[in-house]
Amino acid sequence: MSLRALPIVSLSFLILGIAYLADNSRLPMGSAAKPGAGLFPLLVGISLLGLSLALFIASLKGRGISEKDQEPFPEGKDRRRVLAVAVTLALFALLLNPLGYGLCSAALMAAILRLLGLRSWGRILLISIGTAAVSYYLFDFLLGVPLPKGAFLS
Amino acid sequence: MDSLQGLAYGFAVALSGPNLLACLFGVLVGTVVGVLPGIGPIGAMALLIPSTFSLGPTTALIMLAGIYYGSMYGGSTTSILVNVPGEAASVVTAIDGYQMARKGRAGAALAVSATGSFVAGSLGIVALMFFAPPLAEMALEFGPPEYFALTLVGLVFLSGIGGGSKLKSFLMVAFGLLLGTVGMEPISGLPRFTLGQLSLAQGVELVPVAMGLYGIGEVLIIAERITGVPELIRVKFRELFPTADEWKKAFPPMVRGGGIGFFIGLIPGPAAILSTFAAYSLEKKISDRPEEFGKGAVEGVAGPEAANNSATAGAMVPLLALGIPFAPATAMLIGALIIHGVQPGPLLMTQQPEIFWGVVASMYIGNLVLLILNLPLVGVFASILRLPQYLLMGLILLLCLVGTYSVNNSILDLYILIGMGGVGYFLRKLKFDMAPLILALVLGPMMEKTLRQSLFMARGEVWQIIARPIPIVLYSMAVAVIVLPFLYRMVKKQSKTRRHS
Repeated sequence: MSLRALPIVSLSFLILGIAYLADNSRLPMGSAAKPGAGLFPLLVGISLLGLSLALFIASLKGRGISEKDQEPFPEGKDRRRVLAVAVTLALFALLLNPLGYGLCSAALMAAILRLLGLRSWGRILLISIGTAAVSYYLFDFLLGVPLPKGAFLS
Repeated sequence: MDSLQGLAYGFAVALSGPNLLACLFGVLVGTVVGVLPGIGPIGAMALLIPSTFSLGPTTALIMLAGIYYGSMYGGSTTSILVNVPGEAASVVTAIDGYQMARKGRAGAALAVSATGSFVAGSLGIVALMFFAPPLAEMALEFGPPEYFALTLVGLVFLSGIGGGSKLKSFLMVAFGLLLGTVGMEPISGLPRFTLGQLSLAQGVELVPVAMGLYGIGEVLIIAERITGVPELIRVKFRELFPTADEWKKAFPPMVRGGGIGFFIGLIPGPAAILSTFAAYSLEKKISDRPEEFGKGAVEGVAGPEAANNSATAGAMVPLLALGIPFAPATAMLIGALIIHGVQPGPLLMTQQPEIFWGVVASMYIGNLVLLILNLPLVGVFASILRLPQYLLMGLILLLCLVGTYSVNNSILDLYILIGMGGVGYFLRKLKFDMAPLILALVLGPMMEKTLRQSLFMARGEVWQIIARPIPIVLYSMAVAVIVLPFLYRMVKKQSKTRRHS
């Protein structure tokens, strides 16, 4: 994984650049004296394409992928932990509206605490419910952020 | 308004109840995030921008600026006590600061670093006060071609001298510009690259991107390893006083560091970080005992810590005088100004003097507060590090999520936040610099607008945009930044082969 990371990342930028330019072709280009909405994105897209292509070729030639150009990616249990944190975040965003802030924030805290090494379920329960309640009070009542209450409560 | 009058007016603004509170709160938050790993000044500013909606723009800016320079104080604390720099700008401080701490001079190192920050911070503010108004006056003559040149050349400088791979940095510029074009186009209001999503018409906002890259991305990296609570060196209050000899050695580096820091702060780039390296190598070079550096030389703490503080003042110059941010942290400040409906630019100083002078005066007050706060309370701040990792990371993640959601009450922003967190994780691991991305995102719309206005004015003749006195100087400087390192390497290679043959 580690050695292939830079080619993959630069290739992703290359694909992004192509898709971006393709979408941009629908916009009016205008003329040099009266530039349209598509001109600046065209310049940006071409730069992105050129730079990512250069980086891709360099990385295939083995440049920029040595140990000092990147940090090693985690493996095994460590990789699973990072992934689990990312999935927890995505689930929070996905379920925030249907389940409401209280449930989601408590579940998020519980998951992170457990994933990052807190073993006692009693403490996990205590901290996550406490955080959910305090943060709800702080944001909703004090700062006036309208947090979703969830389909069950409303 | 001349400087003294302006400053007096500024103090009247900054000392009013809410502004004083905002300043206190800002520097306090800055110190805390400076200490904490996983969240730095950029993340904290992004987090607090939404909560400034109900405040006036002056109050908001005073608070956010406080976070910026406050974090410079906090970052040094952990460098000295645990050899873990809280911020990149405090990496150099760890070299000699931690060695001093191991020799039982932790208190002295902390005191020198706080005093150095204060001395240089104050010098920097004085310089800011004298530099910014004439620059703003000059900038009144600037038209779109000048602004386009400034923003473009600023991005080139940032990527060219930031260290690391230039190709990667320029790619980040392009990616940031790309993100900046999403949403309604600035002149005709045409929606672009919205993928049919109505909520994307507002564009990709700065807050979720910054918080994703700097907050979530960092937490994901920290989550790779479960670590215990770091061991702290305990500091007793009476140990906080450096000896007369230490003071004598530390004072000149503070002044020199302050000078270097300010001027490096003016240049686009990771000013605070670069300035610490510059100050450290200068002190080592001119010292008559260079062998002591790395083994607990007090100059190695005083110089860099002074430099990173005055660099923050230097970085405020282009922001307040031209309305152009050249550092990620000042990009957050400009983001806040725009949200509050303030038009940043050279007119800011004359049309809304309470913002400029209020912020400048609040920086004096903030630096004084930080000095008073940091010396006796240093143990309290450092003990934040005793909080277990799982608790800290959980809270940071929750804050990032709620903070982002609260900007627009938008779930889409949450997806952008998390997506940017993932992008930030990979790019950081591959040693891409995040600063060009953030700045390009902020400067992009300004660049597009000024480019199109310039072309319109010049009736499409590109040469007329370039061949103006200020732009042509700026463009030549940009070309030099790109070409000179190549030439240097070629000359070096040639002289090497000559030596071999």
